[in-house]
Amino acid sequence: MKENLNIDEMLNGFIDGELTVRQQTEIQRLIRHDPQVAQQLRQLQRCKMLVGALPRNEAPDDMLERVKASLERRTLFGDEGNGFNRQKGAKHLLGRRLLAVAAIVGLVAVLGTVIYSIVAPESVSEKSNPLRRETKLIVAKPEHILTDVAGRLVAAAAFRGRLELKTADFTAVDAFIRRAIEDNGISEYLGSVIQNNKSVYTLACGRDRLNSLLSDMENIWPRFGSATLFVEQDRLGEEIAVTGVSPLRIAEVIGQDSYEKRIVAAKKFAALNEVNALLPGRQVMAAIDGRKPLSITIPRPVLTSGEKTVEKSSRWAVTGEKVQLIIIVVPINRGQ
Amino acid sequence: MRSGTANINIDEAVLIEQCRRGDFTAMERLIIKYQNRIYNVILKMCPNPDDAEELTQETFVKILEGIENFNGRSSFYTWAFRIAVNLTINHRKRGQKLVTRSIDAEDSEYNEQARTQLKEFLRDDGSPEPSAVAQNKELCRIIVDSLSKLDDTQRAVIVLRDIEDMSYAQIADVLDIELGTVKSRLSRARSSLREILEANFQ
Repeated sequence: MKENLNIDEMLNGFIDGELTVRQQTEIQRLIRHDPQVAQQLRQLQRCKMLVGALPRNEAPDDMLERVKASLERRTLFGDEGNGFNRQKGAKHLLGRRLLAVAAIVGLVAVLGTVIYSIVAPESVSEKSNPLRRETKLIVAKPEHILTDVAGRLVAAAAFRGRLELKTADFTAVDAFIRRAIEDNGISEYLGSVIQNNKSVYTLACGRDRLNSLLSDMENIWPRFGSATLFVEQDRLGEEIAVTGVSPLRIAEVIGQDSYEKRIVAAKKFAALNEVNALLPGRQVMAAIDGRKPLSITIPRPVLTSGEKTVEKSSRWAVTGEKVQLIIIVVPINRGQ
Repeated sequence: MRSGTANINIDEAVLIEQCRRGDFTAMERLIIKYQNRIYNVILKMCPNPDDAEELTQETFVKILEGIENFNGRSSFYTWAFRIAVNLTINHRKRGQKLVTRSIDAEDSEYNEQARTQLKEFLRDDGSPEPSAVAQNKELCRIIVDSLSKLDDTQRAVIVLRDIEDMSYAQIADVLDIELGTVKSRLSRARSSLREILEANFQ
């Protein structure tokens, strides 16, 4: 009986490839000389094959979700009293969900701020009038004090930038700008050149003069197809581009009393324009959903005070340090 | 190397370590990697699909609960299957949700064609073609039912060897028994299975 059992186990080991070489040789010899053992081996092989031939079943598609749900349930309700609250995995899952909720709240807050800044009443917008702020700044910290205390620094950090204006009324606009420069008595006007059909005006003047010029240019702003202010970052050798810029925004950037503040203001406007490009809300949702966002054209700069010519007022009359601004007027075709 | 390799590879070691630190993405990968194999083994030991799904789900919950305490003395593969097999055996012992059917009634349900085919497979000299067996649903049902008539421990050893293709050493590790016990138990299991199968056409 014991011997038979051993032969059975040896035969099973043989078909399972679990025997040593010596044992295999012994079994092969037995098979050759004993037909009964050979028959027994074949039966074992067939039985093994039948079981091995059963089709492989796949787990349900939602197994992963079911395990997750089970883990969550145990974490939240302490099911089965197994102390799974301590499990980091479930905590991690909970943390991810909280993070997702926080991200959604943050996104809503940002969008709300942007929408509020657009639809806010005029009285509220007035409070953030850059020129008013600048006036306050000057009162609090007069220009001469800045230059007296750190004249060299201020001079080194003077505004330098480029204003690129594209217009379909090139001739009229170009003539207007030339005349406005002369009318404002910008003595530091270094002249204009025509390069590749573009007019290039290089100005180095006080902020007050430049603000006066911008005030005049407000009248022709609706005739620009686009207006982009490039602010030089001396320390990084790069430029910040503020698209869809208006005279007031230019004045606000230039009017900042330090290099850092100018860069911050320019970046703020650039970021606002980028967010603006995603409005209205469905574009944002499309971006979130991974769908291709709709193409939005940044609106033309608008005349903030209506179609009438703006009278120069005290809000433009600010004193200031020297600034360097290059105005480039680029002709474009209508509808471009 | 066997599909169910005992040696833990580097990727899996990293995955396990990430799971220990609470990385749920790593846990997801681990579940996806093993879910089909564990479900398949459980289903062969417990032929009720609803029970098998629940047991598979419970197995992964236990794995993820206990992975912090997984000490690496055995391979992760055998450790995971030990949980699955123990849960299944305990479930059958408790008799929960088991569909109990009369053996006689079952026998009478099998069609003649499947019985004849089984007889040919077991008695003819030619070896059965696995694809022919797999395509015959009735024959598959006879084999699964026959497996379910085995003693739980015998069924476990035959399923782990012939379906999951584990080595004797891995089976010993999963069932926490001696290697010699695996050999004797497998020998008896195959002998019993053959008798049960032959009873269908006698």
